[in-house]
Amino acid sequence: MICFKDLSFTYKGEKAPALSEINLTVEDGGFLGIIGPAGAGKTTLARAITGMIPHHYTGDFYGSVAVNGLDTVDTSIDEISRMVGMVFQDVESQIISPLVEDEILYGLENFGVPREEIPQRMAEALQKVGIADLQERSIASLSGGQRQKVAIASIIALKPQVLVLDEPTGELDPRSSRQIFSLLKELNEEQGITVILIEQKIMLLCEFAKQLAVVSGGKIIRQGNTRDVLAHADELQALGVNCPRVTTLSRMLSEKTGAAQPVCINLEEAEKMVRRLIG
Amino acid sequence: MITLENVSFAYADQGPSVQDVSFRLEKGEFAAILGANGAGKTTTVRLMDGLLKPTSGRVLINDMDTVKSQVSERARKVGFLFQNPDRQICKNTVREEILFGLRTVRGDEGEEALQARTDEVLKDFHFTGDEEPFSLSRGQRQRVALASILAVEPEILILDEPTTGLDYLECCHIMDRIRKMNEEKQVTVIMVCHDMEVVLDYARRALVMAGGRLLADGPVKEIFRNTELMEKASILPPQMIGLGLRLGDGFENADTPEGMAEAVMARRGKGGAGA
Repeated sequence: MICFKDLSFTYKGEKAPALSEINLTVEDGGFLGIIGPAGAGKTTLARAITGMIPHHYTGDFYGSVAVNGLDTVDTSIDEISRMVGMVFQDVESQIISPLVEDEILYGLENFGVPREEIPQRMAEALQKVGIADLQERSIASLSGGQRQKVAIASIIALKPQVLVLDEPTGELDPRSSRQIFSLLKELNEEQGITVILIEQKIMLLCEFAKQLAVVSGGKIIRQGNTRDVLAHADELQALGVNCPRVTTLSRMLSEKTGAAQPVCINLEEAEKMVRRLIG
Repeated sequence: MITLENVSFAYADQGPSVQDVSFRLEKGEFAAILGANGAGKTTTVRLMDGLLKPTSGRVLINDMDTVKSQVSERARKVGFLFQNPDRQICKNTVREEILFGLRTVRGDEGEEALQARTDEVLKDFHFTGDEEPFSLSRGQRQRVALASILAVEPEILILDEPTTGLDYLECCHIMDRIRKMNEEKQVTVIMVCHDMEVVLDYARRALVMAGGRLLADGPVKEIFRNTELMEKASILPPQMIGLGLRLGDGFENADTPEGMAEAVMARRGKGGAGA
């Protein structure tokens, strides 16, 4: 479980806080989507979960963040990293090896995974992300999207309890993005891994995340079940957060029919709503 | 105008990335190239700019063959906005960045004219000019990159995933600006874009690629409604078009939430069910 209590953080040398009075709980097995405009504090939130704040990035830190009941201030980054795996927005800063298999191996060896277990763990991670064929390739020969998948595979191989991903599909086409979201769902549902996903692709996020947190100006403006948060689409749009067009359709039909329509988050639901309305 | 005639291209030591692609973009068109990663989209737009030269076939910018022309001649005609603005920005202030492009491409006009043009662009984009690009957000840096390209007043604008990494408002700012250039100045626009909602909102023509080949070329909405083609190219159509296709029965003509809501209400008016 991840628990933020009144967390405020100001980076050293900055005047304005990056995060203000954050209260947020993510239960074990949760799938939380974080959305908000650029500069809202989303990445800072992720850094607070992984302990990079306050261990790597110093500044004024008030309140607390606990991972599995351990206060991140009192827990070493090494210990936190055994519970929380993080996929960075900037893939280039995450990948350190010249070869794909070395990149996966690096984390596994660092974590002291027994030698005999390693080949199996590596093969499984590569296969899950759909890049088994890239195992022996050099990183330099890969496209941006393929590198993104390598970064994800290298973290999944470590089998963290909590997975934090900062815009992991930025370089991916719609099919690959959906594939990554489906993989996260599978890890979440079948292995109970807690997923915390920062993403601008609102349509996919709303379809897959069980909970949403909307961040703006360093504050959480709204949090809750995805559908409940989307019921406030007007408010989100005023903040510059888009919502799926099927959700916009729900809102318009509620207005036009004068009767509250369900908040739709995917095509199936929208089709059902329309068919019911036209009889 | 840009013309591709039977263009093929292969990177060294690899199979062909683009194979036998032909199309022509007329002045003032707004087109999008669609397809999965590795379909050959980026290679195609780089061929259009002359950044890459075809292995066979010809690329003509107006009547100028990219193989025979100078970089400076092409730069005057074609602006290229990369996915990542940091590959483009090289100066320490926004004013210097805009002047840099102008001096390179329109140096013959004299410093005074270029300074005046820079003032105009800064005002238009709401920059003071003193901003340091690398302390700006990604979305603002993308606006700096776009400003420095539009300062040169190219006839053709090529965009390679211009909205990647931007939030919704930043995306709208960039795309609205591009639409304005297209509508008011008849700038020809071609973009590679993975966000089909953006493609639907802004582009009028779509070129679909898969495996280095051009699969289809037509009006955006017709292309999105071609289910078989979309599957072949691994593209999911925009939500409202997808919904219209599921519903059929006349609803396939709606492509926005507004249009869909109206179609639903019209059907109810004709004696449909109650609330």
